[in-house]
Amino acid sequence: MRFHVYQVSRKGGRQKNEDRMGYCYTRSAGLFALADGMGGHPEGEVAAQMALQTLSALFQRDARPTLKDPLRFLQEAVLAGHHQLLRYATERGLMDTPRTTVVACVVQGQSAYWAHCGDSRLYLVRDGKLLARTRDHSYTELHGALAQSGQPIPMDAQRFNRNVLFTCLGSPGKPVVDTAGPTVLQPGDRLMLCSDGLWGAVADEAIVETLTRHVVSDAVPELAEMALRAAGAKSDNVTVLALEWEGAEGADEAPVVHTRSLGEEVFASTIQASLAAGEAPVEELDDAEIERSIREINEAIKRSSLKKP
Amino acid sequence: MSKPKPAPLPAGTVVGGYVIVKKLAAGGFGVVYLAEDADRHNVAIKEYLPASLAERSAGELTPRVKPEKQPLYRLGLKSFFEEGRSLAQISHPSVVSVLNFFRENETVYMVMNYLQGDTLQDFIVTARDLKRDKVFRESTIRSLFDEILRGLRIVHQHKMLHLDIKPANVFITNDNRAVMLDFGAAREVLSKEGNFIRPMYTPGFAAPEMYRRDGTLGPWTDIYAIGACIYACMQGYPPNDAPQRIEKDRLALSLSRLRNVYSDNLIEVTEWCMSLDPLSRPQSVFALQKELARETERRYTKLSFSERMKLQFESLKAGAKS
Repeated sequence: MRFHVYQVSRKGGRQKNEDRMGYCYTRSAGLFALADGMGGHPEGEVAAQMALQTLSALFQRDARPTLKDPLRFLQEAVLAGHHQLLRYATERGLMDTPRTTVVACVVQGQSAYWAHCGDSRLYLVRDGKLLARTRDHSYTELHGALAQSGQPIPMDAQRFNRNVLFTCLGSPGKPVVDTAGPTVLQPGDRLMLCSDGLWGAVADEAIVETLTRHVVSDAVPELAEMALRAAGAKSDNVTVLALEWEGAEGADEAPVVHTRSLGEEVFASTIQASLAAGEAPVEELDDAEIERSIREINEAIKRSSLKKP
Repeated sequence: MSKPKPAPLPAGTVVGGYVIVKKLAAGGFGVVYLAEDADRHNVAIKEYLPASLAERSAGELTPRVKPEKQPLYRLGLKSFFEEGRSLAQISHPSVVSVLNFFRENETVYMVMNYLQGDTLQDFIVTARDLKRDKVFRESTIRSLFDEILRGLRIVHQHKMLHLDIKPANVFITNDNRAVMLDFGAAREVLSKEGNFIRPMYTPGFAAPEMYRRDGTLGPWTDIYAIGACIYACMQGYPPNDAPQRIEKDRLALSLSRLRNVYSDNLIEVTEWCMSLDPLSRPQSVFALQKELARETERRYTKLSFSERMKLQFESLKAGAKS
């Protein structure tokens, strides 16, 4: 498998970033996922993190190096995240369960499979056109779908806020998980996952155009920037993860993840797997952290050289 | 479709006050150089430069890392720090010592003692090519591993595993010390449950649990590798790798070739260390040390007639295959 991938998460005008994203891959399968922890409930960032960790841990367990049944995997792994949240709330005696949306995509062989719950979205763009997009589990999108299919819209539907979701992970009822695929990918296809911070501020047309015009490592930061600019000081968290599928072969010099160089059993991930729930996500090493590590090591060297006879 | 390896620093480059003399080795994690410090003493410097994530053209100093590889690059940096941290805590003649750690050229460098000598691997190859019935004398093997195990015990006491013990990572210095090298795969396992990327393993020396993602690694994992090293010191060649052994285990058979050359006890200890089931191995270095140090009268058992026949038959079969 060959693909380019890029991900960005920005806090916007909010106090904290409750979005989480990440990807992991084996030699022949990749998992890309994004979760948006919900405000109005406790510990949104914990919920988002747990949903991704669960996905990643199960992917690591089951992708050997491919998944037997990707759709079933997605369905089960998303629900497993839901159960983790319920357990977490029970164990801690929380009055309310932390909640999150999730969207996840598996790329395996030539095909993509995806699943979502809530209003985090997946876009599939080919040749400048939007080939597919997930439908949010919100009353607005439900309306749209009902109107298109010519079904009557319930009278009281007008009373609902457009942003209210009728399902998510951590809710009391069983979450609705929609799955789609397999969709056969073509070289150059772009798959993008994003939180509502992006699509709430940037129109689909602009998203498609930006993804088409730039390579993902430029398009992703550009999209996040567009959303932050459009939403202004009150911007929601904006998180975007996109990949460009490179097809089976093609010897260009572009930066690309070659999973072929990985051994059968090797697994690589940007999602923290060992994080104790409730802890803040481990940030990437920043400069201060690097300096601190070096200082600590040198102090340890000094200490143990003193011990030397 | 392998991409070019990052170029090593040229001789004469100054980093952190050390002058690079030459490249000694390059691995997946980086490059090791021979260098001189301000007093013109030799040191070894390891540069963090993962070949799969970083690029550097000849003549450049700063490696380039593509944005999408940044997360993994930084993750690898963490392991590099872990190696430094662990080595810094350990002060033992059988474990390579770290002298300094610094940041330059937007990457990091670890300065270590420069050791003169050869790896155990070199010794095995030389001894093997002499084609005597023994590769090493038994007393040599016992004292060598006694020394290595003393170091390994300290490593385990620091809640770390080496995870890549093999003859190429054991250095025999010119003043006759055995020193363990390359803790790149080492990690603190007792405090962290999840691994990102399983350490790379060396076939033949890696315990079966290293091949499994859910395998529990522990001191027994290093002990398997020690067993495999002893095997290589007796046989001159590494043992079959664990997956092959799981399919068809010829270990007992090939060890029986060594009967009457090495004592029954040493052969049994090797087999014990190399049990496929982690629980059947010595569970601690101490348990193994005790067994190796037991200097009772050595018993040697000759092969019986039927065993010799079986061996000959096996080598005929092997000869026919190759």
